[in-house]
Amino acid sequence: MAEEQKAKDVNRRTFLQVVASIPALGALAAFAAPLLRYLKPNLDPGLGVPQGRFPPDLIEGDLPRGEPLPIARVEELSEPWSSKFFVFTQKYPQYTPEQARAFTVPGVAIKLPWKVRFPGYREGKEPTDIVVFSRICPHLGCIFNYVPDWREITAGYGGYMPPPERRHGLLGCPCHLSIYDPADRDLPGRVLSGPAPRPPRYFVYEVRNEVIVVTAVEPGGIA
Amino acid sequence: MWERLREWFSERKQKLDLFDETNVERYDNPLYLLGQIVYFSWIVVIASGVLLMIWYEPTTHGAYNSILRIQHEIPLGWLIRGMHKYGADMLIIAITLRIYRMYFLGEYKRPNELSWMILFGSLVLAMISGLTGYLLIWNQRAFWAAKVVLTVAVYLDQLPLIGQTRFGSAIAFAFLGGPAEGQGTLTRFYAIHFGISVLLLILVELYFLFTRRKRFNLSPTALVILLVMLVVTSWIFPAEMGRRADPNRTPLPILSDWYFLALYQYVKYTPPLWAGLGPGLLIAYGMLVPFLDRSKGRRPSERPFFTVVGIMALTYFLVFTALILFNIAVIGRDPHIVLVLTALTLTLGFVLEVRYRRKVRAAEAAMPRPAPRAAVAARPAPSSGA
Repeated sequence: MAEEQKAKDVNRRTFLQVVASIPALGALAAFAAPLLRYLKPNLDPGLGVPQGRFPPDLIEGDLPRGEPLPIARVEELSEPWSSKFFVFTQKYPQYTPEQARAFTVPGVAIKLPWKVRFPGYREGKEPTDIVVFSRICPHLGCIFNYVPDWREITAGYGGYMPPPERRHGLLGCPCHLSIYDPADRDLPGRVLSGPAPRPPRYFVYEVRNEVIVVTAVEPGGIA
Repeated sequence: MWERLREWFSERKQKLDLFDETNVERYDNPLYLLGQIVYFSWIVVIASGVLLMIWYEPTTHGAYNSILRIQHEIPLGWLIRGMHKYGADMLIIAITLRIYRMYFLGEYKRPNELSWMILFGSLVLAMISGLTGYLLIWNQRAFWAAKVVLTVAVYLDQLPLIGQTRFGSAIAFAFLGGPAEGQGTLTRFYAIHFGISVLLLILVELYFLFTRRKRFNLSPTALVILLVMLVVTSWIFPAEMGRRADPNRTPLPILSDWYFLALYQYVKYTPPLWAGLGPGLLIAYGMLVPFLDRSKGRRPSERPFFTVVGIMALTYFLVFTALILFNIAVIGRDPHIVLVLTALTLTLGFVLEVRYRRKVRAAEAAMPRPAPRAAVAARPAPSSGA
């Protein structure tokens, strides 16, 4: 009988220890959770919003915005393979006195000698011969260049030799040697070489009174 | 099991040897000075770092200018900055050499597992401290190096299951302090850079306090030689400034501090997800190698596989560094060559290991069995007859 009692005592102690440790651990977690939140910046990530968690108008309101930016007149880009660089300002909602924080996205507009279906122009429904790309490399965020002379690619950008039908202006990233073809007929910006996982991000543009106006940049990506 | 773990831990804790302070009696072998050099350069770096904090201005607009001022206007500023930079380089070189020494001489084996893991972890932390440190200059190299390293984390979101939580983006975001590199990044890096060194130094001082070991076993001669080396280096090669960071212009080629160059070449060669996983696997291998290598011997020839892996790692470090310095890489071709070479080398290591073990087993079998005592007494008779 006494031994049974002893066994029961031990059990009770263990039981009490477990019962006491649960709220203690809970309190610890409650203390640690805001510390993790402390690390998170008070900025909209602009990395895309998880689907289905917020009402659509809220998502709309939190996406990065920018003012429409006229970048070039159409006659400036009349020669095939001519290009124009520009810097687009993207605004993120933020809890600052200005309510918005600006980030710049460098871009390039290129005139092609043939027409392609470019997702930034009327959602790719109509072919166009002007493509406008963000110059932020989708690999690791470096600013890449438009290289009008493909021979430069073979020298300074990792020795890629384009096949004969692609010997024209290319996009090349100096960081990790990704090469893109802005004039690919099926997928403008196709990755030709290098570690980039996808084509560069596109700008949405429209032509207003013979002026190319950039209105938005494809969302996503960290810069 | 809990009890065994505690026992394991307490034994390793007693044999802890963080700065080569128990390995040898006399410090006349430069190979066993490395631990002392680590501690010495660490102190130099912390002291000069605190002095730099007096003049450094951690803002995107003022950082570069304040360092220009330290370098050119403030009396002895160049010396303080040189000591900080070259002291940090010396620290990393000493840790790296010490890791290779411990690896090739099998010093990570029992009872030194814990020492090895702490040493290896401190190399990783020192490299993080270096990365966060050179962003503070806010020059082109710093800006792009930080950008590349932080963006790699985003690709961890591509992992199945874990990726759903977007923890890769969360890591990048927590370090960047925003969606892009800016003032938030600079402030956070400043905090991390200072925090890592000082918190670890406090831990190390506690370790010295509780184990009552001697802090410094360096002879005055060695101490003076090291100090003179640092001063002369920072005088002849003043720490460089580079160009001011320009977020709209990528330099060609993009480089970082020397100990990251090989990693950068690796990032060029691999798809982004592997660029993130590869270094993680490398660190995991380093941390776990005492438990993977169960062989008995300590000499390199007594564990061929691990020796081959070590030589391969060293070779890749040197070759990749050279490749990125001269900007030669053909992305379409080189990764295949590297993969094939790696596979061949690992196979070679495996074959050597199997052959070595067979030889050992054969030698054991050929050895005469210890005979019973009576037989030993009987043996001399036939030999004397011959």
